[in-house]
Amino acid sequence: MLLFRSEEHVAAWLAGRKPGATISVTKLCELANAWWGDRLAPDWRPHTRDQNQSILDRLGLTGPFWTLP
Amino acid sequence: MDEADITLRNLTYHRFVELGTAPSAAEIAAAMDSPVEVVRDGWRRLHDAHALVLDGDARELRMANPFAARPTPYRVEAAGRSWYGNCAWDAFGICAALHVDGEIRTECPDCRTPIDVAIRDQRPDDDGLVFHVLVPAVDWWRDIGFT
Repeated sequence: MLLFRSEEHVAAWLAGRKPGATISVTKLCELANAWWGDRLAPDWRPHTRDQNQSILDRLGLTGPFWTLP
Repeated sequence: MDEADITLRNLTYHRFVELGTAPSAAEIAAAMDSPVEVVRDGWRRLHDAHALVLDGDARELRMANPFAARPTPYRVEAAGRSWYGNCAWDAFGICAALHVDGEIRTECPDCRTPIDVAIRDQRPDDDGLVFHVLVPAVDWWRDIGFT
């Protein structure tokens, strides 16, 4: 889960390996806010698998690559 | 996960925030006025529930996601303190968890050029950067250190 200067740098780093998924840093920030925003809340409870999947879905991160077990 | 484990988990996280680094099992035991093995037993249950990650011999913390117990390429400065994130997602997650602006310092894994990105009002100040996830979601916890 790495941050790159551009998609061209991702491709160079992969060096022919099968790519995973690439999203913008703006989308990453939205994902981080949704995923981690309650992590220090006094009433924190563990996310269920469906809650986490709902976060991904809501941000348009759908399809087999983004499907949790 | 029962209430006692949630209390242990919350105390662990809040000490991590206060210290800027991972609390030891002994530090948490002292704060709870409990034997250290009570802390380690609770941490093992939390590890199994993916609520934190222990090191190889399951005695001390490796991750209290998004916070990293070991130095990583993702340094985060926020609220006058600094922490390491386990990965790029976690680095942004530290600002998200703290609900503050911050600065993330890393480097491009390809060309090693330094990357400094600021978070202001929950948004990055450089929208040209990209985030790559190599491992599909179904396998994220198969080897969380690699992921």
